[in-house]
Amino acid sequence: MSFVVVENVGKTYSDRGSRTGATVLRNVSARLGEGEFVCLMGPSGSGKSTLLTILGAMNHPSEGKVVIDGIDVYALSDERRADFRSEYLGFVFQQHHLMPYLNAIENAMLPLATLRLGAAEKRRRALAVLEKVGLAGKASRLPNQLSGGEQGRLAIARAIVNDPPLVLADEPTGTLDTKTGGEIMKLFLDLNARGQTIFMVTHNPANARLAHRTLHIRDGALAPESDCPREQTSRTPADGLDSELPALMIDRSGDFDSLSGKPFGD
Amino acid sequence: MRIGTIAFANLKRRKGKALFLVAGIGIGIGTAVALLSLSGSLREEIGSQLDRFGANIVVTPHSDSLSLEYGGISVAGVAFDEHRLTGEDVAGVLRIPYRKRLSVIAPKLLGAVEVEGRKTLLAGVDFSSELRLKRWWRLTGGKPEAADDVLLGYDVARAVSAIEPLPGAAGRGRPNGEHHPASEERFRIARERLIVAGREHRIAGVIGQTGGAEDRMVFASLGHVQDLLGKPGQLSVIEISALCKDCPIEDIVAQIRKELPHARASAIQQSVRARTEAVDRLTRFSAVVSAVVLAIGALMVFTTMMSSVVERTREIGVLRAIGFRRTHIIKGLMIEVAVISVAGGVLGWAAGLLASRLALPYFTEAGAQIEVRASLALFAVAVALSTGMVSSVYPAIRASRLDPSEAVRHV
Repeated sequence: MSFVVVENVGKTYSDRGSRTGATVLRNVSARLGEGEFVCLMGPSGSGKSTLLTILGAMNHPSEGKVVIDGIDVYALSDERRADFRSEYLGFVFQQHHLMPYLNAIENAMLPLATLRLGAAEKRRRALAVLEKVGLAGKASRLPNQLSGGEQGRLAIARAIVNDPPLVLADEPTGTLDTKTGGEIMKLFLDLNARGQTIFMVTHNPANARLAHRTLHIRDGALAPESDCPREQTSRTPADGLDSELPALMIDRSGDFDSLSGKPFGD
Repeated sequence: MRIGTIAFANLKRRKGKALFLVAGIGIGIGTAVALLSLSGSLREEIGSQLDRFGANIVVTPHSDSLSLEYGGISVAGVAFDEHRLTGEDVAGVLRIPYRKRLSVIAPKLLGAVEVEGRKTLLAGVDFSSELRLKRWWRLTGGKPEAADDVLLGYDVARAVSAIEPLPGAAGRGRPNGEHHPASEERFRIARERLIVAGREHRIAGVIGQTGGAEDRMVFASLGHVQDLLGKPGQLSVIEISALCKDCPIEDIVAQIRKELPHARASAIQQSVRARTEAVDRLTRFSAVVSAVVLAIGALMVFTTMMSSVVERTREIGVLRAIGFRRTHIIKGLMIEVAVISVAGGVLGWAAGLLASRLALPYFTEAGAQIEVRASLALFAVAVALSTGMVSSVYPAIRASRLDPSEAVRHV
């Protein structure tokens, strides 16, 4: 059974002063299996971000439905859908959208703010994810005291602090240099290897090649899927992902030749 | 990390805006506090001044007959003596529970006598209390000292040629109790002695024209008049001035009635009404000005919060995207406003108190004071809080309704 089901989704933005609106998505259907890493590619204005926000339970489709883990997301009330986002989804935005007035650990803790957990438990969880993304030593730094890559990693830490089953990413490497982008992709692969389902919007074919599948969207409609399975040897940490990923990236695209090939954190 | 943590961090981040809002609310509350404090002090002062204007309670004997009047007060005992007041009744008045509120008790005996062939009202009074009660009297001459000394009302003095105009003197007399040179009066005393009720008396002084009943009266000491009229120990009326800034004058009257069942005690409604109206007008004025200033403060909070919401569209969108409910967004903004409002309220209270203290000398006589009252502080904070919260309801609801997908889309 698919973990995410997108069924005949359409989206038309109403245009003020006009009877007809702008149709951004048409009859989009897709399925994501649990633990899958799927990329979505398409030119600007093709409807990528709209589909991502619809999948992210924050943009009501004009037609069709989205079912995640058996829950018809848009049948929920607004407040229940917020709870659903809190429990099921992690977002990584292209510009990271970190809170500039909160330090790294506070940013990582942000999704926990509404949960009834003790302060110590929230802190423990935030430190654990900061550790996971290699920022444990910079917990008290403000975002503007972090590099672009570190900000990206912090954004990922915030997205996964709730341990959500589905992580949605909107061009997470779009503003980063290739080396930093590679680090970020490594983190996503790592998360995916630990069982998290990932849906990523990207312009970068190199990123897309690391996913299990890539969906192509053009003019609001999905093109027939082009399956491009990754080499299974690189997918699990047990298979030496940490040490082999950079080499894999170099092999696939040549875009990451600046990477040293050393494991992260070294 | 709780929603409050985010709110406090946001306040720290936008210190300038937060301080601007605190100042705005502070000014509004400060103005209200200053006005309320000042009007409170003015109320007290007006109250005490009105109390000084004379008696506000009159005790007379019961009478079934048509009565004579003294200063608008019916005086039964002048005509008939069915029920009499005595010195015992004065003691009775002093036994009421509210006795400490009574500032002056002025007993008097009234009687019609012949003054050089004219029927005139003679009043036997205790001069020390009478002169405290009638502070508006301006005496030419001196206070009566001997038993046969009399004070003449202006019309009586003129009728018996006891005074003559003072050419070239335009000044007015001074309030009673002060002996002052006759040259300051518009008239001077032209004769020393006068026959009242067949006996010769010394004219100690003349009361400047008041336009009241006293212009047509002669005043002598109470004991002497009791002798003259052959009514030892008797009284016609007891005038009482109660210090009633806010005290229930009707309650005092009721207590006197209870203590003196044979007498008739009544409040001089005019005095009470005048005081109440003056106080009410002041209070209404303060309330209106305070409301206007607070409305301006509320408008400022509203516009600042609206612009703050627009500024934070993306931030709010991100919070919504990561699972914050609408109520969480509203709660966060309301915590910020609450902190700002409470700070503004406390600051405004302190500033208002200081301002009213500084301004007080320009509005009231020396000696008036502004009290530091915890109730006013609580009131200031409560008003600040409710003003801030009410003004922020719409901006907060609007923030909570931001479309998260729209908010995070525009980067």
